[in-house]
Amino acid sequence: MNALTVVRRLRAAALVAVVVFVAAPPLAFAGRPCSERTLTTQELTRSLELAAHTLTALERSGAQAAVIARAGQNLTEWGLRFSHIGIAYYDRDALEGRGAWRVVHKLNHCGSDRASLFRNGLGDFFGEDLYDYEAAIVTFAPAPGAVLATRLKDNFTVARMHEVRYNMLAYPWATRYQQSNQWAIETLAFVLEPGATDRSRAQAWLRLRGYQPTTLHIDALRRLGARVGSANIAFDDHPPARRFTDRIDTVTADSVLDWLMTSGLGRERLIVR
Amino acid sequence: MNAIPRRTALALLCAAPLAFAARAARAHAGPSEASAASALSLALPLASIAAAPVMILSAGAVLTVTAIDVSAHGTVWILERASDGARASVELSAAGIEASAVAIGTVITVTALSAGWILSAAGAALCFIPNAIGQALLYGERITP
Repeated sequence: MNALTVVRRLRAAALVAVVVFVAAPPLAFAGRPCSERTLTTQELTRSLELAAHTLTALERSGAQAAVIARAGQNLTEWGLRFSHIGIAYYDRDALEGRGAWRVVHKLNHCGSDRASLFRNGLGDFFGEDLYDYEAAIVTFAPAPGAVLATRLKDNFTVARMHEVRYNMLAYPWATRYQQSNQWAIETLAFVLEPGATDRSRAQAWLRLRGYQPTTLHIDALRRLGARVGSANIAFDDHPPARRFTDRIDTVTADSVLDWLMTSGLGRERLIVR
Repeated sequence: MNAIPRRTALALLCAAPLAFAARAARAHAGPSEASAASALSLALPLASIAAAPVMILSAGAVLTVTAIDVSAHGTVWILERASDGARASVELSAAGIEASAVAIGTVITVTALSAGWILSAAGAALCFIPNAIGQALLYGERITP
């Protein structure tokens, strides 16, 4: 291949990229830049009040553990309400024995294809640039709640199902990548099912217990635009038969909340504002 | 009768700039939200409020910065309430606050909420003083690299 051919091909590739960016309507979940913004006093107030109300709801529930969800993004285009979940549990040893609720969850490093796990207070969990100041809670029945409250204090347990390679739209039944809500349900499986000793087995248990992911309909142009423009979106872990018919299955907060109630793992579903 | 200035020395430990206040970085969000790790906190120091009277922190109170003491341990603001001259000493427990945003004469507004108080200037939150509820809401620990 001579130099002229290389130049021509590069030009063609650049043109294709430009066309994709111009023609493809952006995926809502891929369109937010990773920028720093200081929350206003009003936003902070609303976030902290939401956290305080969530704390009150958890205390009143009598539960020891719950899945909590926040609305960090407008997902109405996808028919979804909540964007991110964490597993909350009551740590009786926290605050020098006074006890406190903690949340373990997975977060993507700004715009990259990597993610880490964090343990936060409710104030930190909701201390985000929220789309809406509403939280969802599904409390666990006493038996699983007690197990979760005990075992989630252990960092090895929390990290056992963690895959550092992040894909916001990771396929739920593959192990190449992992997104944050997927980590949460695989960790639930690992903690609650002794046989779920790795991600594949955790996913098998989730299927057995009836978990059903959300199917998003994303056409090829939007997939290409998202893939080219976002380090944290990939589709190569999805089965070709579904991918090429525009069906992208992934773990959403809403689908997890629904599943917890239908599976019997959850005891009560609450909305907090 | 000698007039005794009504001055209250409040030792308030102001939790560092709300971790989430200053770092609202967000990555892409979506069906699985990808919040930026940097958005969250980060071991906010728990604050302590030395005894009452905390009435100076009533909602809507307007305070003026009358002195600033910067040391290796942190920053202390002396705040004075315009209405009666009551004073409070607010200690910023960690580095990182945008101290440049505060100078002697800066007017600070108090927002009271169930978890504590937010001090702000010109509409921008400066720091959070958690009460007992607020202390229970704040915690930051990174579990994996």
